[in-house]
Amino acid sequence: MAVSRRTFIEQLAVVGGLSLAVAGMEALGFGFASAQAAPPPLTGKGKGVRVVILGAGLAGMTAAYELTKAGYDCQVIEARSFAGGRCQTARKGFSHTDLIGHTQVCDFDEGLYINHGPWRIPYNHRSTLHYTKLFGVALEPFVNDNDAAYVYFQNGGGPLAGKRLRKGQLAADMRGYAAELMAKAAGKGGLDLPLSPADRDRFIGYLVSQGRLSPKSLAYGPTEGRGFDVYHGAGLDPGPGKLSAPFALADILSSDTWRALEPLGDHEQQLTMLQPVGGMDHLAKGFERHVGKLIRYDTEVQKLTQGAAGVEVFFTDKAGKSGSIQADYCICTIPLSVLQGLDVAVSAPFKAAMAGPAYAPVNKIGLQMKRRFWEEDHAIYGGHIATDIPGIDTISLPSTGWQGQKGVLLGYYAFGADAARISAKSPADRAAFAVAAGQKIFPEYAESFESAFSVSWHLTRYSQGGWAEWSDDARASAYPVLCEPDGRLYLAGEHLSYLGGWQAGAIESAWQQIAKLHARVNAA
Amino acid sequence: MRLLFASLALLTAAPAFGQDAGQTQFVTTCSACHQVTGQGIKGAFPALAGDPFVQGDADAVITTVLNGRGGMPSWKADLTDDQIAAAISYVRAAWGNTAPPVTAAQVAVVRARSAQPVVRSMQAH
Ligand SMILES: Cc1cc2nc3c(=O)[nH]c(=O)nc-3n(C[C@H](O)[C@H](O)[C@H](O)COP(=O)(O)OP(=O)(O)OC[C@H]3O[C@@H](n4cnc5c(N)ncnc54)[C@H](O)[C@@H]3O)c2cc1C
Ligand code: HEC
Repeated sequence: MAVSRRTFIEQLAVVGGLSLAVAGMEALGFGFASAQAAPPPLTGKGKGVRVVILGAGLAGMTAAYELTKAGYDCQVIEARSFAGGRCQTARKGFSHTDLIGHTQVCDFDEGLYINHGPWRIPYNHRSTLHYTKLFGVALEPFVNDNDAAYVYFQNGGGPLAGKRLRKGQLAADMRGYAAELMAKAAGKGGLDLPLSPADRDRFIGYLVSQGRLSPKSLAYGPTEGRGFDVYHGAGLDPGPGKLSAPFALADILSSDTWRALEPLGDHEQQLTMLQPVGGMDHLAKGFERHVGKLIRYDTEVQKLTQGAAGVEVFFTDKAGKSGSIQADYCICTIPLSVLQGLDVAVSAPFKAAMAGPAYAPVNKIGLQMKRRFWEEDHAIYGGHIATDIPGIDTISLPSTGWQGQKGVLLGYYAFGADAARISAKSPADRAAFAVAAGQKIFPEYAESFESAFSVSWHLTRYSQGGWAEWSDDARASAYPVLCEPDGRLYLAGEHLSYLGGWQAGAIESAWQQIAKLHARVNAA
Repeated sequence: MRLLFASLALLTAAPAFGQDAGQTQFVTTCSACHQVTGQGIKGAFPALAGDPFVQGDADAVITTVLNGRGGMPSWKADLTDDQIAAAISYVRAAWGNTAPPVTAAQVAVVRARSAQPVVRSMQAH
């Protein structure tokens, strides 16, 4: 029976677990990247056409940058006092007042920061990387996967519950056991593989190397790859050291820690991952250097009207003074969670579609630690601690400032109901919660803690949520409506992409909408 | 989670058991935005106290809580039918609201009608 590569991979995923399937995919050279790698060429006329852009986030600034280059006359209206929207970074002096009225001023030491919004750029987001390169935004690796990082699950069962485990050891064990089962079955012809005998042997060879199995018995056992209880070294003592013993398969399964092995399964989570040196907002600042002069800051849009001849946008500035701007077209990048509540003149179906997605509750907290104990005492350099402590989910260690004195780590990155629950606390109580949770994993946590800065995106003015979440229903009904203009109004932003919650979604959505607008202007 | 529920329940004066569970659910999941007073935050989070929608058609309220809408998150991936019924029953009867409770069975019917939840992985974005 002939078998397609895809079918083979799917079977691998079924019998061997996702990581094997992913490894298989990579071996066979599958690769996907965000669809657009460069802005649309806007050739033809654009000169003097007035476009008012609502929101100076990445979608708005992308539109402003590209349209201005093509000769359009752009103005950007931004409610915040800075450009970037969700692309922001907290460092000393950064102030955040949420919708509840809690004000925090970041008090980290000079040079330290937390990316409380976007923090990483996957190599396959070629649109985002187009602009980091264009604007000379220096990048460095973001450690998205670290074998030394701990996994701490407290809610499962068995002897591994509530223990901190090294991710690499868990991964070695799960890979080893899965490979052993498959290799033994394949050896006996038990898998009914659609392969020639020679290929079957190659496949078993692959499983032996993947799982570090004994080539003879095909059994999984202690291996160097899993690590040591006593590290090998010089002379006779420690000499060869002492290999660590695998966890029992049943213990890993009942502890639920195997769930933490998933991240690289997602396309957007694959390596290499990058981050701007010094904070994600350097990407926003790159745009701002070019389009900053077009932005009217501290100006909140309240209302939009449109007619056959153009649009009019009504706003209020910081001093409470209202005004309006007229233009030929409008590109609106205000998140739908916010736009819903504004007075926008659109058709009834368009208005109804705007209620389509729901925005995700998302929490992050940065914790400044006076000592980099995770590096010094635990040999963990960057990467994520996966945990099932409700409201924490992930603790991430900084991919910068290696071996310095202090560091800011991400104390939680939580979504949904747990994020909503923790966000009801005061900022001080959120920090106390985060520190107490981290203390379960690192004994040095509480004594090293110095200061915190937390953001709950669903409580953040002008964002009201981390990102749009589309149900299948809303994707099918509302989403296509919003991707088309309503009269002279074009929407853009991460919410109008399948790269939701990524900067690439904002950028590529803007590219798509300006291409449509430009085609219309040129057809006229 | 369960521990937290227990400790919160101790802190609140207990009316009928059902309403108590509902209040706990509301305080835990909903109050960050709608506030414990049910008054919300003007311009961002609507008041549920005195809100005709909340006290109106039960299916419409259930749909809103399951699917979300704009800044109102979708709860179908996070909360069980029981939890959603408890929270909705609470907001329909608290702060002077006077609508009848909803049952988990009613939530289940609406849930079956609507699309599957977005699948969340441990690491996103
Ligand atoms: C916690 C978190 C983690 C993330 N992680 C990553 C990541 O690692 N990598 C990645 O690539 N992406 C990540 N993202 C997603 C990324 O931040 C967004 O997709 C992107 O920044 C959205 O850009 P946008 O232009 O569509 O919207 P926004 O940035 O929200 O821009 C909208 C703009 O409109 C303005 N505005 C709102 N209301 C008004 C009004 N009434 N009048 C005038 N202006 C108004 C806002 O102030 C804002 O500037 C993350 C997001 C969050 C929240
Ligand atoms: C992240 C903030 C947030 C949380 C948490 C939240 N809501 Fe909401 N809720 C909103 C917003 C914003 C709206 C208005 C949505 C819109 O129309 O744009 C809303 C609307 C509603 C409505 C409809 C009100 C009306 O008149 O249209 C109901 C009912 C409701 N929420 C109930 C709940 C319940 C029950 C919970 C807890 C399970 C909850 N909410 C949690 C933000 C939130």
